[in-house]
Amino acid sequence: MVTCALPLLSDKMAVAAGSGCLRPGVGTEIILPGVKVPRNFRLLEELEEGQKGVGDGTVSWGLEDDEDMTLTRWRGMIIGPPRTIYENRMYSLKVECGPRYPEAPPFVRFVTKINLNGVHNSNGVVDTRAVSALAKWQNSYSIRVVLQELRRLMMCKENMKLPQPPEGQIYTN
Amino acid sequence: MEDNGGEDPVNNNNNTTVSSEGSIIKVTVKTPKDKEEIAISEDASVTQFKEEISRRFKAKQDQLVLIFAGKILKDGDSLNQHGIKDGLTVHLVIKTAHKAGDGASSSTSCTSQVGSSSGSSSGPSSAAHSSSVGSTGGPVSAPPQTPNILTGFGDLSSLSSMGMGSANFMELQQQMQSQLMSNPEMLSQIMENPLVQNMMSNPDLMRQMIVANPQMQQLMERNPEISHMLNNPELMRQTMELARNPAMMQEMMRNQDRALSNLESIPGGYNALRRMYTDIQEPMFSAARDQFGNNPFSALGGNSDGGVQPSRTENREPLPNPWGPPSSTDPSEGGGGTGTTGSSTAGSTNPSVSNPLAVNSASLGNGMFSSPGMQSLMQQISENPQLMQNMLSAPYMRSMMQSLAQNPDMASQNPASSPSTGTNPAQQLMMQQMLQMFAGGNASSQTPEVQFQQQLEQLGAMGFINREANLQALIATGGDVNAAIERLLGSQPS
Repeated sequence: MVTCALPLLSDKMAVAAGSGCLRPGVGTEIILPGVKVPRNFRLLEELEEGQKGVGDGTVSWGLEDDEDMTLTRWRGMIIGPPRTIYENRMYSLKVECGPRYPEAPPFVRFVTKINLNGVHNSNGVVDTRAVSALAKWQNSYSIRVVLQELRRLMMCKENMKLPQPPEGQIYTN
Repeated sequence: MEDNGGEDPVNNNNNTTVSSEGSIIKVTVKTPKDKEEIAISEDASVTQFKEEISRRFKAKQDQLVLIFAGKILKDGDSLNQHGIKDGLTVHLVIKTAHKAGDGASSSTSCTSQVGSSSGSSSGPSSAAHSSSVGSTGGPVSAPPQTPNILTGFGDLSSLSSMGMGSANFMELQQQMQSQLMSNPEMLSQIMENPLVQNMMSNPDLMRQMIVANPQMQQLMERNPEISHMLNNPELMRQTMELARNPAMMQEMMRNQDRALSNLESIPGGYNALRRMYTDIQEPMFSAARDQFGNNPFSALGGNSDGGVQPSRTENREPLPNPWGPPSSTDPSEGGGGTGTTGSSTAGSTNPSVSNPLAVNSASLGNGMFSSPGMQSLMQQISENPQLMQNMLSAPYMRSMMQSLAQNPDMASQNPASSPSTGTNPAQQLMMQQMLQMFAGGNASSQTPEVQFQQQLEQLGAMGFINREANLQALIATGGDVNAAIERLLGSQPS
């Protein structure tokens, strides 16, 4: 059905001030400026969102260990976007929210082996400078935002065709 | 205050309805496209959960991958272990062995039940059919004895059972497109759909789709700029951003329109625009829209073909002054050997050097003809007799003339009877011939006052008492009462 709409749109090829692939999302909570939400509040909220499946269902996150009272260690899952080399694969990640979260960005690393720009090949650690959500972290961002950003990276032209290791391999360290 | 010992108010098993152990919880299972609520026992294992899901989503159990809170649920685990409780959401991914677009294997696996020859009959529209065949595999395989014809019908019937009712994929596409055009909401709805947006965010896919259109391919051959445009991924991406955001799109269109109208006002700009249009946009337009039949610009474009020679040169003629008094140059000046530069047609405009046919541009009237571009075109044509011949001999001109004829303002008066042509019989004859060709003529012999009498009366009845002003307005608008009123109101002090 989009093929029908396309020729109509292609008539007016204008050069817009384009935005690239990267555009971190903003959380949907009501943010009052100047109010600092305590860390645990935030993390509990994110926990709930993770369990309720807020978002489009392409990423998932939750506590690694349900008994973890510090809410530090989290697990994330990214479903490989369609029509890319990552399609049909599930990528597991570890997310660590330090004591200064949400003022400081979390540490993210892939558990499932992946070939993606910005992810270290040896250990799956995500380079903070490569992901704009981490590089320009704001306290309104969340784990979901980071995961969605990584997913968007997978859809970028430079990444979507990178050859991938066989499915199911994980980083050992 | 009797303590009712039997009932424990803090009983956890309030909602026990089934005999299985534990209570039933309702878990939402979400796929990127779908969402279902599944009731399952709290103590169930992941395997049992998957059984239920495979039934509901009609997929095989081993194709299901469940994710909760960032962890994959393995078959050996239990729901409890992962903390899955009532009202929570589990993500589901159904692993397909092959992509949805590639229907070959699914259709062969389905039609193999009905006979191997059916594959060929569903060949042409297999893309459309494969998904439907896959899902309605059951009913289609019902009559296994008659392959070929019946399976052909079977495929079609399954399509129609999907509610589309059209056998031909092209037709389908056309219908879709016309629906889309008539219903802008639907278009925006389609754009909102995350699936569509996903597809649109893939520049390669878009490119393939565009290139697949054979007319587009032709166009690309003719105009290398277009293929260059398509090959530029940055541009594609930006265009898709644009396409995704209808508000931005409108803004862009508005800017472009403004730019175009600016261009038009530059001398010679109109011709440049027309050139650009015929070279690039018209074929693109027709390629995209010929399913509709009506290229809205085709009439205009067809007209300009007749005038294509003079359009290559800059039009230096001053545009006619629609409000000014008829130019009073010597009417017989144009008389000469050439036929078309004959004397006056005794229209409301006396012929001038540049306007020998006394084409009263104002009276040519409504719509596109009253654009200054069109008027200048007419003038150029009237200057160049050869061109006139060419133009008139073209078939589409005849139809245009006929439509002109139907315009009541251009009553087919016989100008030959007018006093000014009486002096020269040759010219008179010429005029008659001209008029025959014009099939109805394009200027009336009456003075504007008489010509617009009815409209003048209307205006008078409405309260516009200044006959002079009314007349001017009517002349300017070619007899259009509404437009004349606007003009009058615009010029009157409040």
